[in-house]
Amino acid sequence: MDFPRTKNLRLSVIKKIELEASKYPDVISLAQGIPSFDTPPGIKRRAENALRRGVVAKYSLSPGLKELRELIELNLALDNMYYDWQNEIIVTAGSIQAITATILALTSAGDEIIIPEPTYTSYREVITLAGCKPVYVSLHEESDWSFDLDSFEKAITPKTKAIFYCNPNNPTGTVYSKEQLIGLAELARKHSLYLISDEVYKDFIFDDDQKIFSLAEIPEYRDMVVRIFSFSKAYAMTGWRVGYLHTDERIAREILKVHDSLVTCAPVISQYAAMGALEMGEEDVRKYNKEYRKRRDLICQRLDELDDYFEYVRPESSYFVFPRVKEKGISSEDFSYKLLREAHVAVVPGVAFGPNGEGHVRMNFGKSEDEINNAFERIGRFFKAK
Amino acid sequence: MKLIFKTILKYYLKFLVRLTVFVHRPKIIAIAGTENKTFIKNDILETLKNKGVSARGHKKSFNTEIGLPLAILNLPSGYNFYKKWLPIIFKAPGVLFSKFPKYLVLEFGVSDPGDMKYLLSLIRPQVVIVGEITQRYLDSFSGMDKVTDEYRYLVKSVPRNGIVIFNTDNKKIKELIKDARARKVLVGVGDGVDIKAEDIIKTATGQKFKIKKKGDEREVSIGKFGLHHVYSYLISEAINKYVD
Repeated sequence: MDFPRTKNLRLSVIKKIELEASKYPDVISLAQGIPSFDTPPGIKRRAENALRRGVVAKYSLSPGLKELRELIELNLALDNMYYDWQNEIIVTAGSIQAITATILALTSAGDEIIIPEPTYTSYREVITLAGCKPVYVSLHEESDWSFDLDSFEKAITPKTKAIFYCNPNNPTGTVYSKEQLIGLAELARKHSLYLISDEVYKDFIFDDDQKIFSLAEIPEYRDMVVRIFSFSKAYAMTGWRVGYLHTDERIAREILKVHDSLVTCAPVISQYAAMGALEMGEEDVRKYNKEYRKRRDLICQRLDELDDYFEYVRPESSYFVFPRVKEKGISSEDFSYKLLREAHVAVVPGVAFGPNGEGHVRMNFGKSEDEINNAFERIGRFFKAK
Repeated sequence: MKLIFKTILKYYLKFLVRLTVFVHRPKIIAIAGTENKTFIKNDILETLKNKGVSARGHKKSFNTEIGLPLAILNLPSGYNFYKKWLPIIFKAPGVLFSKFPKYLVLEFGVSDPGDMKYLLSLIRPQVVIVGEITQRYLDSFSGMDKVTDEYRYLVKSVPRNGIVIFNTDNKKIKELIKDARARKVLVGVGDGVDIKAEDIIKTATGQKFKIKKKGDEREVSIGKFGLHHVYSYLISEAINKYVD
């Protein structure tokens, strides 16, 4: 009994550190990627109404409630993405289920998937679970965590099936430029690869004129791009487990088979909540962004005050900052556990996000200003005590 | 408390709607059916704009007892917050004195028995489009015939000098044709219609199809995917041809 499918999987480093952190009653956790807000009342009311009407007890159609998919199509069109809700949009149980269904549908065991890193920890596990091999391509910290296409081209082999990226990127908060992404799409087209674009942080806009470009906006790429979105982050709905994916009908048809076999359908009550988010959540997203921007500025200011110990690239989006720990000779994991033990502040070791993340830690500024300030008081004392 | 507030709000908006319609006398285009109403509304608004006719829809897909009056009065929703409703309530009478468009393009949706009767007590459309009737809101009805009856009630309400546009590819909608007193315009991809789409092909950037109507045939390309956009285009063609 050697568990061949799971033996190479790891419990997320984030979960491990959270588990360890729970042993300290006064801990301040900047580790877990959750917003400090509760789900907006309008969204909760939408779910309550559905519950009262008695329409949540049954399965929905496998790709999701018709009215939700129609709303998603309308919403996508506002961002210049045109997809047929009847055949090209699938509502999922969060983004990670969308990612799992997509990878299982697109690949065969032994295929390779390229992921620019540092990036979200669970990508590696899903790829491994599918029997595929994650191939890391390093992002460049010195150029604000951007990528160069040559590294991707060098990583492509006859076994490569897809390039899988997160934009805006977790943990660096980088937004890839339109030029970079189009370069990536052309490379993918040249080698007949799929592009999986995880855009769960796409609503985290800190500058009024900022626009996060998606390759799904370009119709010519729709037959190779699978775009994934989750309601978790933007609408403070991590516990509802609801998201969606959209892609060309030819690909969606195959993903739907996997989706159906994994979960039948996304939780119906959460689908109604997602409708509430699309119908009424706009103002809440704006309010949260304003708050996150303040917190981003605060955490950057606090990091600046500790510039003998940290250096960082200012995040453009998401609610993460990914500073480099200047201290030499200590791994990010050892540093994180030491910080937890001595200062009772939890951060995620950078190595969790890929080999290029070593030497860094991820801090979540989705936390309240008080928590951020208190955490940094402790971190300051931790360094001074050395 | 909430129920009392909602009831007062409902009657307040109803009163204002009647007064507004009496003062401004807009022509009403009602888009009915269980799905795709917003796509049709957007296309019709575009068509009327291109014709140089002043028209207004509503940004959100409001089509309930509170939502429809808001759409007519061009007001936002306060959703479930009293505080948000107060400025809306005070601002509402201003619509009587503001510039009003010639056409209102409204979504008429029903989710419970009797909904259509209430919507028609607010406003009477001169042009009605029945786009799709599916099982979407079946949960509140005792069967599909009851759902269809809601739309039958609407179709019957259109005066003789009005127009009803039917998507006859939908079996339930086909049953309603005989109930219309107004001029009937049939659209679809099947035979026997006034405006027909043929040879629909998906392209890299959208869809291409032939559009056929009396004495006229031409090829059309749209940058959207899905058959519902073809229907929406056909309906807009009907509006373009039959509505002044």
